[in-house]
Amino acid sequence: MTDNLTPAPSVPGETGLRYVARVTASMSHEMKNVLAIINENCGLLEDLSFAAKKGAPIEPDRLDRTCRQMAKQIERADSILKTMSRYAHSFDHPEEPVDLHDLCQLVATLAGRLAAMRRITLMVEKPEAPCMVHKHPFALQALLWQCLELAIVAASEGSTLTLIPQAAAVTIAGIDRIEGLNGGMSSLPATITGEGTSPRLTLHLA
Amino acid sequence: MRILLVDDEAEFVSTLAERLTMRGYQADYSITAGNALDLAAKHLYDVAVLDMKMPGTSGLELQAKLAEKHPAMRFIFLTGHGSEDDYSAGSRQAAHYLVKPVDINTLIAKINQTVFANDR
Repeated sequence: MTDNLTPAPSVPGETGLRYVARVTASMSHEMKNVLAIINENCGLLEDLSFAAKKGAPIEPDRLDRTCRQMAKQIERADSILKTMSRYAHSFDHPEEPVDLHDLCQLVATLAGRLAAMRRITLMVEKPEAPCMVHKHPFALQALLWQCLELAIVAASEGSTLTLIPQAAAVTIAGIDRIEGLNGGMSSLPATITGEGTSPRLTLHLA
Repeated sequence: MRILLVDDEAEFVSTLAERLTMRGYQADYSITAGNALDLAAKHLYDVAVLDMKMPGTSGLELQAKLAEKHPAMRFIFLTGHGSEDDYSAGSRQAAHYLVKPVDINTLIAKINQTVFANDR
C-alpha cells in the first residue's frame, strides 16, 4: 500500500514546497483570469437582456459570440484543472517509471505562464525512443521546474527554450546568459555545457 | 469620462470595455503596454485600469510610464494575484487595487471615487 504522505526522496523540503507554491500561484492566477472573462460575458448577457426588456433589438450574433467565449473559457478551465490534477496526483506513488517526454510536457505546461510573462516560448522535443527513468515523479518535476525557472531568467525576452528529453537526463537549450545560473544550480544535479556559444543546462536523473 | 483599460486577456478587456460603453463611458482598451502608451498619447484619459501582471511590461512599469507623461491620469490596478507583495506595490501606486473577477458596479464606484476625488 502506498503512503501518500511519504515525502518525495531526493528533493529538499524547501525545493518541493517552493515548487508547489509557485505552481499553485500560477494556476490560480490563470483560473482567476478565466473566471473574470466568464464573469464579464455573463454580465454582458444580463446587460443585453436588460436592454431587450426596454425595447432594444436583440442581436443573435452577439449572443452567439458571447456564448462561444464562455464555452471557450470553460474548456480552458477544464484543461487547467486536468493539468493540476495530473500534477497533484504525481505525489501518489513514491517511485514509478517516468517518461521524460511526458515529464517535460507537464512541467512546460505548468511553467507556461511564468515563461509568457517574460515573452519566452517553451517547446518540448520528442525523442525518437522513449526515455524512461524509475524515480519519484513529483521529485523529478520539482527538480526540472527549478532548472526551468533558472533557464527562464537566463533567456532573453522573445526567445524559445527547448526541453530535450534524453536517456536519464533533460537538457534545456536556448539559454542566452550563464551569469547567475551557477549560484542557483549549487543544489541541483545539473551541469552547464557550451558556455562560449550556446549554453545548455542539463539535469542529470540517473 | 474617458477610461483606458489594459489587460493581456483580450476577451476580458474587450467585453469590459463594451459593458462600460453601454453605461455611457468612453472606454478604450489595449492588450499591450506599447499600444496603451500610443492610445494615451492620442487621447486624454481620466483614469486607466491596468492589469498588474502582463507579459513583458508589468502593470506597475506601465503605470510609471503613463504617470510620467500624463500626470493628471489616475490609476486602478486589477489583478488575478492576491499576494501581499502585489497588494502593497499596487496600493502604493494606484488609488485602488481590485482582485478579479470584479463586479462592474464595484469597478464603476471605484472609478468614480478615483476621478471625482481627484477633481476636488
